[in-house]
Amino acid sequence: MDPIAWLSGSLGVPYWAVRAVAAPLVYPGLAAFMVVALFIIWAERKIAARVQMRVGPLYVSRRLGGALQVLADGVRIAFQEIIIPVGVEKWSFVLSPILAFTVVSLAFTMVPGGPGIYGFRSSLSLLATYAIVTLTPILVIVMGWASNNKFSYIGAGREALVSITGEATLLASLLAAAMMYGSMDFVEIVEAQMRSHVPGLVANPVAALLFFIAALLVTDRLPFDLVLGEQEIVQGPYTEYTGLLFALSMALGYAKLYVLMLVFTHVFLAGWAPFTSPLLGSIAVFAKTLLLMLVAVFLRSVYGRMRLDQVASMFWSKLFPLALVAFVVSALIHPIYAP
Amino acid sequence: MTRLLLPGMEGRVLGERGGLRVVELYIGAQHPASGHMRLIVYLDGDMIVRVDPDIGYVHRTVEKLAETREYVRVISLVERMTIIDACNVTLPYVEAVERLLGVEAPPRARYLRTILCEINRVSSHLYGLGLGGIFLNHSTMYMWAFGDREVFVHLASLLTGSRLTHTYPVFGGVRRDLPQSFRDEFEKAKRYMLRRLREYDKVFFNNPVIRGRLEGVGVLPREKAVALGATGPNLRASGVRYDARMTGYAAYRDLGFEPVVGREGDALERVWVRLREIEASLELVERALRELPDGPFIDERYTRAVPPAVRHWLEKGRLKLPGGYVRLKTRPGEALGRGEMGRGEITYYLVSDGGMKPYRLRVVTPSARNVVLFDALARGHTLMDLPAVYGSIDYFPPEADR
Repeated sequence: MDPIAWLSGSLGVPYWAVRAVAAPLVYPGLAAFMVVALFIIWAERKIAARVQMRVGPLYVSRRLGGALQVLADGVRIAFQEIIIPVGVEKWSFVLSPILAFTVVSLAFTMVPGGPGIYGFRSSLSLLATYAIVTLTPILVIVMGWASNNKFSYIGAGREALVSITGEATLLASLLAAAMMYGSMDFVEIVEAQMRSHVPGLVANPVAALLFFIAALLVTDRLPFDLVLGEQEIVQGPYTEYTGLLFALSMALGYAKLYVLMLVFTHVFLAGWAPFTSPLLGSIAVFAKTLLLMLVAVFLRSVYGRMRLDQVASMFWSKLFPLALVAFVVSALIHPIYAP
Repeated sequence: MTRLLLPGMEGRVLGERGGLRVVELYIGAQHPASGHMRLIVYLDGDMIVRVDPDIGYVHRTVEKLAETREYVRVISLVERMTIIDACNVTLPYVEAVERLLGVEAPPRARYLRTILCEINRVSSHLYGLGLGGIFLNHSTMYMWAFGDREVFVHLASLLTGSRLTHTYPVFGGVRRDLPQSFRDEFEKAKRYMLRRLREYDKVFFNNPVIRGRLEGVGVLPREKAVALGATGPNLRASGVRYDARMTGYAAYRDLGFEPVVGREGDALERVWVRLREIEASLELVERALRELPDGPFIDERYTRAVPPAVRHWLEKGRLKLPGGYVRLKTRPGEALGRGEMGRGEITYYLVSDGGMKPYRLRVVTPSARNVVLFDALARGHTLMDLPAVYGSIDYFPPEADR
């Protein structure tokens, strides 16, 4: 049974309106993101602990292996005082993390969570998702500026550099993929892959790799966690934040990672394939996304932080030219996805 | 022209210094990567113009306190400077006092001191490597080094009975004899550590990201290293064949000690020297255990005075010090103690007026000598290189501040 149809029937609201609210709020939106964040942060700490000869989170809910530690931390942070330092520009300081997280959540209206599970379907949903995700750096820069702290300020500068550097490659790899499928609609992209039985990862591995690496950069994952840069600039633009505002700014990175990995799932891993039913398809998308996020957070136990100039030169002089190769690959391979 | 000053702008105003418009960045004393100190960094853009290490946050007046305590009580005082390297930091002091007392440690005691010194050196290097790892946000190196350091802390506790502040070398010998299980445990530890060093090479030293962070950063040329008075692995990484162990104190002369010397003098080379010194130290301990001479572990002058009620401890290899040991008097004069700690050479200059307490004890610790490297190495690099430089010189504020 379709819960959306039932809701629209009992409330007397059109089907599309219920869907437009349910997708960003429940799945793949905020409720699902909460589950993902709880699981991924726990898994990140547990994996790192296993690699590093530790146990990781344990004492909160011993039987679940400390799985509720993140929830406990969240509760603690929720009751923590939100300190607003004297020198900050109050309104931009308070509003920018809230706005940034809200902006990222808007992406959930566009990205499907399974077959037929989406807020809106548009022929430009891929581009729109990208545009929404890349709006947040501006707000992070506002955070850094408003904090009135030199570390935050330097962090904001790094965010500017990192976002420009990463997003060029991100967009290039997405456009290469869009060119390959001849579409910018997630649903059409997934259907093209299901029709030809060739996932994008196999058809154009260059674009997939570039997208993954660039996603690591724009979401502040190791080895590119330049904006957080704890050993140099404490917490970067988030240094002065406390309580829920700090939690929001930390969730921002994970939300972006979640959105981008959902995009990766659809564009390169054939989305809900091999299933076509909404339930099984959604589970497939969710599982693939979680797996990708696990790979992204596992890198924490392997790498250190790369230097700023090395990241910039790697992206501009190696990866961005490689994106042009991805375009060539797309141009050669796109007949297999022709309808 | 009046300058527009928006609310909350004062934190962003650039400073002027020496005609340069620079950002003054106060890293520390509350900062995730400052240690017990503050680094005042002057930045031109992202370029470090100058670094002022602001030291003294953990100054504990060790030199002055030493003048108020009897000689034997000073041992446990000076080891507080570097509890993670406790034998290396106390041994030169003990040898200086022994010179004034006119007593020499028996050969077995000299070998046992060497063994503990080298075990301490391994733990000290692992500590430095771990911190060097987390300075580059490489948490695995941090956890691995600290976890594996536990092996050597355990070895030290087998030998001395305590994990960190061993107070092992005392005047005329050592506090305890070698326990029977030590050789086996060391054999295991050595095998384990050599295997782990290969893994360190894989995950940290040959990691492309880490190599990129360390290679060519903070280059210290040979002449400059000598001119600045750098010491320890930092000096040897620049290609200077100097190590205080070459003077042959304790058992180093008998063991045929050879220092590890690097070439490049950059941060990577400094890490490399530490990794290879761990191997060299393991070799030294093994050789010392093989050639360990029989005999007493403390000079008979002091065991004679042990009261009969606690004599049986001595046969079990443990020393219960006689009461008179606290009231030892040295001849008036001065003595110099030198030794190589994990971080470099430590020097004690001891003046005695013939009393029960030192008249003056001057301590120069390796970190106190290496602190100049912050400014010398970080200049001209970016802010992100500062943790790499800090981690690679293995600076330890409590040791420098004394």
